[in-house]
Amino acid sequence: MEITICIGSSCHLKGARDIVAKLEKIIEEKNLTDRIHLKGAFCMGKCSVEGVSIKLDDELFYLKPEDIEQFFQDEIMRRVSA
Amino acid sequence: MLDKDATIVSVKHEVLYQVAKHAFAGDLEEKRDQIPFDIIPGPQANFRCCVYKEREIIRQRIRVAEGRSPIQDKENRNIVQVVESACEGCPINRYVVTDNCQRCMSRKCQQACNFHAITIMRDKAVIDTQLCKECGKCYQACPYNAIADLMRPCKRSCPVDAISMDENKIVVVDENKCIHCGQCIKNCPFGAIMDRSFMVSVINLINSGLPVYAMVAPAGEGQFGNASMADLAEGIRQLGFADMYEVALGGDFVADSEAKEWLEAYQEGKKMTTSCCPAFVTMVKKHFPQLEENISTTVSPMSAVARLIRAEHPGAITVFIGPCIAKKSEVIESITQDNADYALTFEELDAMFHAKGVELQASNAVLQQGSIYGKKFGASGGVTAAVLQAFKEMNAEVDAKVAQCNGAQECKKALLMMKVSKLPEDFIEGMACEGGCVNGPGSVKAEMQSRRDRAALFSKADGRGIRDNIAPYYDKYQISLHRK
Repeated sequence: MEITICIGSSCHLKGARDIVAKLEKIIEEKNLTDRIHLKGAFCMGKCSVEGVSIKLDDELFYLKPEDIEQFFQDEIMRRVSA
Repeated sequence: MLDKDATIVSVKHEVLYQVAKHAFAGDLEEKRDQIPFDIIPGPQANFRCCVYKEREIIRQRIRVAEGRSPIQDKENRNIVQVVESACEGCPINRYVVTDNCQRCMSRKCQQACNFHAITIMRDKAVIDTQLCKECGKCYQACPYNAIADLMRPCKRSCPVDAISMDENKIVVVDENKCIHCGQCIKNCPFGAIMDRSFMVSVINLINSGLPVYAMVAPAGEGQFGNASMADLAEGIRQLGFADMYEVALGGDFVADSEAKEWLEAYQEGKKMTTSCCPAFVTMVKKHFPQLEENISTTVSPMSAVARLIRAEHPGAITVFIGPCIAKKSEVIESITQDNADYALTFEELDAMFHAKGVELQASNAVLQQGSIYGKKFGASGGVTAAVLQAFKEMNAEVDAKVAQCNGAQECKKALLMMKVSKLPEDFIEGMACEGGCVNGPGSVKAEMQSRRDRAALFSKADGRGIRDNIAPYYDKYQISLHRK
């Protein structure tokens, strides 16, 4: 599955790079490097929303770096194990 | 520019300039809707049917300049974007019988056509466009070369057959095939294909006060007349960047690292390709996936310098600036690889200079971070020459043969040979642009026009060796030069 993280300036300032690092760490810990692919994206146009724009395949979410662990449990794991 | 249409270049520049100007001023949000009227004041249209269409094209171009898809509800992930309102749908039928037709007795065209699309009329053969499947058999069969192949320029320029038409004859770029080489962007006579830009993001980050570092590709020398790397660095600092690095220094790192890799591969009898041209790398990944493990694991020069900058300045935001559109895809694809944060083209840099009123002044100041070998990385044959120089400096005796693939077509041929294990050479130097990066689609000047200034600037470079040049950095920072 593909996780796309917006790297536009607004998301950068909201912590997009921290989110990438956190996701990378969790993916490594859970041995999912072969199954989850992280990718950057141009500005998704949701700059005024609180949180970084992230797409799981084509579904859009807005996340703060501190939400990542929970989000991984709730959304990503469900999709990976599906 | 010689190989680009001057009018299209100026329209694209005007849009980038206006967007950059308002982004620097921080009022892009309020002024965005005003820009089409500033560029197309009317009431007379210049190139299209009316000012309303012209303004709509500008609106779509603004969106691409801001990094989005041209139409709000038709977002896609492509880097190469089709500005639909600017695409004329080129209403040309691919095969047309010209006046050269002799109305000959053999009727080879008619016999060659499997679709009964050809009728011999009183003056010449005629192709029924409703029946024609554009197979090209008649074109090959005509003994008088009387049938013309009028392929659309975008499609003709694409080396990987990624371009097709929708039902309205508007161009569609297949992201699963596209290698982001930028040839279609360069070749569309209506400027209807554009590359998304990180320019506004970079300007916003500069405005936010964070330390943003520029890294300028070796193809930059000569792009801005006789401005040297030191003069470019001065102009770039005036834009608000913290400082500028030469990517030629990354070229030195890569040459040294690839020399070591090649040496190993050569002894094992394994064939290998270079990894610095992102369009070439994407060509391997998307069109020759079985050869992916033959790509050198050394990172690109851009990536090497980004890692170096982060080691020297923790927290730095790194921005590559070069002639390349495919670098934008490298940035997006390798967010976990400690690569550059953003990539811009020289066109975008030029618009930023214009927007900020920065005029580059040729001075006597000197800035040389890369060796002359690193500086020549951006021309076809340059990577090979640098790796061979690194062998020499290592005192390694290697009789390696290198297929120097100049342009995407040659890359494709060599990869095909490699795929069937018939490549006579040991290594492939892959560069998707003919002539190398110096002819990249994001340049402001074609190689022909920058050649003289480039040669003059190179003649001032000192003769330092590759390994001596990078040794101090290695000792200090222990940067990894391989993909994670």
